[in-house]
Amino acid sequence: MAGLKNADDYANGERFKGAGIFGVLSLGVGVVATVVFFLVVILNRETVVDLGGGHTEAVSVTKCLAFSWLFAVVFFLSIAVGGMFWTMLHHATNSGWGTLVRRLMENLGIMIPVLLFLSLPLVLKQVGFRDVLWEWFKDRAAAEVVAEEKAEEKKGVYIAEIRGKAEAVKSEIAEVEKIKAAGGDITPGVARFYDDQIEELTEKSKVLSAHAEMEDEALVEELKGKEFQKVNALLYAKRSYLEENFWLLRFVLYAVVLGGGMYLLRSTSLKQDKTGDPRLFTRMQTMSCLILLPFAVAWTFLVFDWLMALDYSWFSTMWGVYLFAGAALNSMGVLVLILSALRRAGYLTDVITKEHYHMMGKLMHAFVIFWAYIAFSQFFLIWYANITEETKFFLTRNTGFWNVYTIMFLVIGHFFIPFIVLLIRYHKTTTWIICSVAVWNLFMHFFDIYWIVIAERAPSLVAGEVTHIPKMWMFDLLAFVGVGGIFIFALLKALGSASLFPCRDPRLDESLNLTN
Amino acid sequence: MFGYVAEFSSASELYHAAEKVRDAGFKKWDVHTPYPVHGIDHAMGLGKSWLSAVVLCGGVLGSFTALALQFFTQVALYPTVVQNKPTNLFTLPAFFPVTFELTILFSAFATLFGLLVFIQLPRWNHPLFESKLFKKFSDDGFILVIESRDPRFKRDKTRSFLEEIGADEIEAVVV
Repeated sequence: MAGLKNADDYANGERFKGAGIFGVLSLGVGVVATVVFFLVVILNRETVVDLGGGHTEAVSVTKCLAFSWLFAVVFFLSIAVGGMFWTMLHHATNSGWGTLVRRLMENLGIMIPVLLFLSLPLVLKQVGFRDVLWEWFKDRAAAEVVAEEKAEEKKGVYIAEIRGKAEAVKSEIAEVEKIKAAGGDITPGVARFYDDQIEELTEKSKVLSAHAEMEDEALVEELKGKEFQKVNALLYAKRSYLEENFWLLRFVLYAVVLGGGMYLLRSTSLKQDKTGDPRLFTRMQTMSCLILLPFAVAWTFLVFDWLMALDYSWFSTMWGVYLFAGAALNSMGVLVLILSALRRAGYLTDVITKEHYHMMGKLMHAFVIFWAYIAFSQFFLIWYANITEETKFFLTRNTGFWNVYTIMFLVIGHFFIPFIVLLIRYHKTTTWIICSVAVWNLFMHFFDIYWIVIAERAPSLVAGEVTHIPKMWMFDLLAFVGVGGIFIFALLKALGSASLFPCRDPRLDESLNLTN
Repeated sequence: MFGYVAEFSSASELYHAAEKVRDAGFKKWDVHTPYPVHGIDHAMGLGKSWLSAVVLCGGVLGSFTALALQFFTQVALYPTVVQNKPTNLFTLPAFFPVTFELTILFSAFATLFGLLVFIQLPRWNHPLFESKLFKKFSDDGFILVIESRDPRFKRDKTRSFLEEIGADEIEAVVV
C-alpha cells in the first residue's frame, strides 16, 4: 500500500530535549506550593465553623489539610497507576497499535515512586495526618485503653468465674456417678441414660478445663478482647486487618508491586532501545501477565486502605474497580495531552497520525462508559438494598451541598457529556476536540476524587449536620498545585531520559502503519 | 449484461486498482477479498455509512420506550412502592437497568434491519453468482466488480481500463 513507513528508518528514536523554562517553572511552583502548604500545617491555626442555630465550633486547620494532601496525592497517583495499567495491557494483549505511545505510558507509570514518596506525610504518624484521616487508628487505641482498664478491673472476677465453671462441671460428673452407683442393680437402659449424661458432661468439662488451665495473662488478654468488642464491635470484627503494623506492611507491599513492577517494565523497555533484542519483547509480555494480577490486588487494597477506610464502618466491594476505572480513563486522557503537547513542540510529528488519536479516543470512550457503569452499579446496589451501614457513604454525598455537586459533575459531567462527544469519529481524530475532552475528563476526575475524599472531612471533624468546612478549598487547590507541579517536573525529566518511543520494538512497523 | 468481474493477483494489486477505479469516477462497483484489507474503504473512496445514524435512532427510541413504559406503569398509572423508594422523578435509578437493556436491544435491531435494508437483503439470487471467477473471492481471489448500471460503464472501454490497471483475468457477467 502507498507510502508504508519502515521501522528501520526510525531505529534511532527521537529524543526529547527538555521543556526548558517550563520544567523549571513547574518545579518552582510545585515546591513553593508544597512549602506554603506545610507551613500552614505547622502553624496549626484554627478555623471557626458555623454549626447553625447560633453555634460555632473551632476546627484545627492542620486536620482539614490532611484531607487536602490525600486528595492531591491520590489524584496524581491514580493517573500514574493508569499509565502502568496501559503499559501492561499493551504487552499482555500483544497489541501493536500503541507501540509509539508505549514509552509515554511507561513514563507516566514511573511517576508511581515519586507519588509514593509524596504520600509519606500521610503514612508517617509524626506528621499528624494519619490519625485524622483514618479514624480507626485513634478509635482502636481508645478502645484498647478502655479494654485494658476494664480488664484490669474485672480480671479477678473473670478468672475465678472461668475456673469456677470448670470445677462445677467436675462436681456435676461426680454427682451423676454417685446417683448411678446408689441405684444398685439397674437395667441396661437406665445405665446407658447415666452413661450418656456422664459422657456429655465430660466433653463439656474437657473444654472448660482447657480454658481454666490457661495462664492468667492469656485469660486477661481474652477478657480485653471481650471488652474491646463491647466498646466497638465493628472495629473488633476488623481488628486483624485494621492493625498498625499490618497497615504499614501493606504500604510497603504496594510500593514493591506498583513501583517495583513499573521500574522493571520500564528498564527492560529501555534496554530494548539499545540492544533491539526481540527476546526482551517476549520477556516484557510475560512480566506484564505476571504483574497484572498483583497490580490489581495492590491498587484495590491501596484504595481500600486510603479512601474506603476514611470511614472504617463503610464498605463497598466495587470500590477498587471504581477507582481503577477513573484511573485508566484519565491516564489515557493525560497520554493524549502529552502526545499533543509534544507534537506541538515539534516531536513525533511524522510518526503519530490521526489513527493513533482515533485509537486513544476509542479507549477513552470505552472507559467513560465503564466508569459510569461501575459508578452507577455501586450507587444502585447501595441505594436499592437500603442497608444502614452501606447508605452512609451516599447519604453524606447525596444531601445538601454535595447532592447538586454529584448530579452536576459526576452524572452529567463525568458521563453524559464525554459519552456523547466521543460518539462521533471526527471528534476522536481531531486533535483539539479530543484534547478538550481529555481536559474536561481530568476536571471531572478532579471532582470525583474531591467528592470521595473531601466530603468526608466535615463529618469527620465537626459535629452535627455540617457538610463542608468553608474556605478550605483554597488549601485543597494549594496541595493540588504542589503535588501537580512536582509531578509535571518529574514527568518531563522522565520524558527526556530516553527515546520518546520504543525505537527497536518488533511491533514498531505495525504501529507506524496503523489503520483503524 | 450485469458487469465485469476482474481478478487481481494480490491484496496490494487490488488496493491500487481500487484507487484507480475510484479516481476514474466509477460509482457502482465493489471489491471482494478473502479477508478484510485495512484501508480498502479509503482506497475505494467510500464515505461514512449512514447505518450509524439508524442505530442511533434505534438506541434513542429504545431508551424512551423503556422510560415511558416504566414511568407510565410504575409512577403514573399504578404507583408501586418498593422498599420505601419514591414514586416520582427520583425513582429514575431504578429504571436504569431496563432502559439500558432496551437501548441495547433496539440498537441491535436497528443495526440488523437497517443493514438488511441498505444491502437489499433478503433476495433470492444475485447475478454475480453466475460468474465462475467471482467464486474465487472466498478462497484466494482478489475480485473487483464494475456494474453496467454505472453511468461511466462502456462495454469496450471499461474492459480495456480493467486490463490497464492490472487485472489478471476478466469475465463479463451476462444475465
